[in-house]
Amino acid sequence: MKALRRLALALSAVLAGASAHAADVAGVSAREIVVGHVSDLSGPIAMLGTPVRDGMLMRFDEANAAGGVHGRMLRLVVEDAGYDPKRGVLAARKLVQRDKAFAFIATMGTPVVMATMPVVLDAGRLHLFPFSPHKATYEPLHPLKFQNFAPYQDYMEAATRHMVERGDYRRSCLLYQDDDYGQEVMRGVEAGLGKLGRPLVERTGYKRGATDLSSQIARLRAADCDLVVLATVVRETVAAMAEARRIGWQVDMLVTASGYSAQTHELGGDTVEGLYGVSVLPHPYAEGANPRLAGWIERYRARFGVAPNVWSVMGYTLADMFVRTAEATGRDLTPAAFARTLERIEFAGDDFGSPAYRFSADDHLGNRHGRLAQIRNGRWELITDYLR
Amino acid sequence: MRRAAVLRPLLAWTLLLALAVASLGADFAFGQATLVVTYAIAGLGVVIIVGQAGQIVLGQGAFVALGAYAQALLVQAGVAPLPALPIAAAAGALGGALASLPAGRLGGLYFGMSTLAFALIVEELLVRWESLTHGAAGLVVPAFGLAGWTAGTPAAQAAISLAVLLAVLAVCARLLASRLGRAWRAVREDEAAAAACGIAPAAAKLRAFAVGGALSGLAGGLYAHWIGFISPEQFGLVFSFELLMLAFIGGTRRLAGAAWGALVVVAMPQLIAVLRDALPGDWARSAGLELMLFGAVVVGVVLLRPQGLADGSGR
Repeated sequence: MKALRRLALALSAVLAGASAHAADVAGVSAREIVVGHVSDLSGPIAMLGTPVRDGMLMRFDEANAAGGVHGRMLRLVVEDAGYDPKRGVLAARKLVQRDKAFAFIATMGTPVVMATMPVVLDAGRLHLFPFSPHKATYEPLHPLKFQNFAPYQDYMEAATRHMVERGDYRRSCLLYQDDDYGQEVMRGVEAGLGKLGRPLVERTGYKRGATDLSSQIARLRAADCDLVVLATVVRETVAAMAEARRIGWQVDMLVTASGYSAQTHELGGDTVEGLYGVSVLPHPYAEGANPRLAGWIERYRARFGVAPNVWSVMGYTLADMFVRTAEATGRDLTPAAFARTLERIEFAGDDFGSPAYRFSADDHLGNRHGRLAQIRNGRWELITDYLR
Repeated sequence: MRRAAVLRPLLAWTLLLALAVASLGADFAFGQATLVVTYAIAGLGVVIIVGQAGQIVLGQGAFVALGAYAQALLVQAGVAPLPALPIAAAAGALGGALASLPAGRLGGLYFGMSTLAFALIVEELLVRWESLTHGAAGLVVPAFGLAGWTAGTPAAQAAISLAVLLAVLAVCARLLASRLGRAWRAVREDEAAAAACGIAPAAAKLRAFAVGGALSGLAGGLYAHWIGFISPEQFGLVFSFELLMLAFIGGTRRLAGAAWGALVVVAMPQLIAVLRDALPGDWARSAGLELMLFGAVVVGVVLLRPQGLADGSGR
């Protein structure tokens, strides 16, 4: 009985200790700010996870080398959820309760984002810039959640409209990944074509991870498409183009920002020459880069041993937005104060060619626009400004 | 003897929980416990089908999915979570019964393959039936609540999961001691001999799958509330194999195996993540480090306890 009482006392002491900590601003001490990142380093989007994390680490290291944010060092705590919501929830709880993360940044993958967001928001932490096209990441308006990734639906609507008007395509078709990503793109493409009074002539899906797209391409060819919009990621983009070229079909294709990657032309070579893509952030090519961008590329390469890609830029940009907002918030850093500052800062374009990100008190989506690019001579070239 | 068999594991689990609460913090530990217990309920389904009835099941995740979707849709339609849970279990049971039908014609690995096909069909159905399931976009599931009270804290969620686990453990223990349990074991050991003794193997298998499916469906109903968002891809083949792995790590012949297996499959990667934070910078950042360590732990368990962790403890 005595032992039981002791156990109960010990448990209540632990619980009391936990609630005493909650009175302070979680993750902010005199010396540091803790930022949590639930990533995918081992799952289906792991090829995005590592460069995004490294980009963020690089920006935080730079801020720390410059004396931190109001004297506080930034510490990024990374957890790998591998696109598994169960692991995501456990990781988010660890970051909330053990690491006391002040904010969550760039959580990766819709299932993980949707499962972890309530954990984060219920704990009163900031939920910033998750990698998910889901509207719930910015709607309904919540004081602590912000999104700066242009929704597929919005920018694909503009991109499809622009492409069809520009090329006078009559028979637009869609090849889409059979998940939330593909559905979002489909809605955007349909909306874009709808505004021009043109139909989506054919659509065909594939399951994530499919490597053989021959039947889908044959079906699109049979429908006599003159423009194929691709809601694919890198490998499927290359597979679709390669299959079309293999059967001698010279059709124009337009891929979303998920296929806008240097890996697309590195993997695809000549077969992807001429492919159109939507860019929400330009790829950082060393060749032809301005001196500041070239310096950044060199520093990244020296730090991580690989060349940066568009996802490294994304990670760096997100971390930069965090640093600038935290600096502008001042020494009294709280989630509410940070959110108020983020609502009034304007992030104008930068050396990378990022779009201007802007939030407001009643709109927590920072950007809705992308621009068109095309693979020419083995690299992406931007061919329009951000499309409205 | 029987009292010791109950008390010993109870003491071990209480100590583990107390240790976790003291070292990791209450909410974190209870959050872990919630998922460990929920997975244990799902894993019990595998223990019944594989360990007791001796059938190969490669698509157990589909039964969890059926339970999760049934629960989510019922709660969305205004049914209270508690009365919805038995229906979620029934959905799992129905799935189990359907998946067992090929057992009349197929056996061994071929039958296992048919359960795999069943899981693929369920996943595809959940994606395609958009008007009901919202397809790949998934469903948001509200917190578990009862008469105005909401299980919002990890401790409350862990308590509910634990109560359900204890209840189903008691039911399963009764089942295993019953005529049906003996029939399952007879079919597992020798189908022809069982038939010669008057046992109908097809009926025994169907019941094993219905019970196993119901357990996993029930776990799915809870899982939907604890995760708060379900989408078809969460219940893919990886999840099915995770459940199978869980049962083999814990031990398929004993009910307690599901709990031990769930502890390894759910909590071990998290424990590794906590320990990893103590590693120097570059090590801590290595992609896949947790998976590698987890793999090493699983191999170690399989080598050292080939019959599963629960072998020799509890039932």
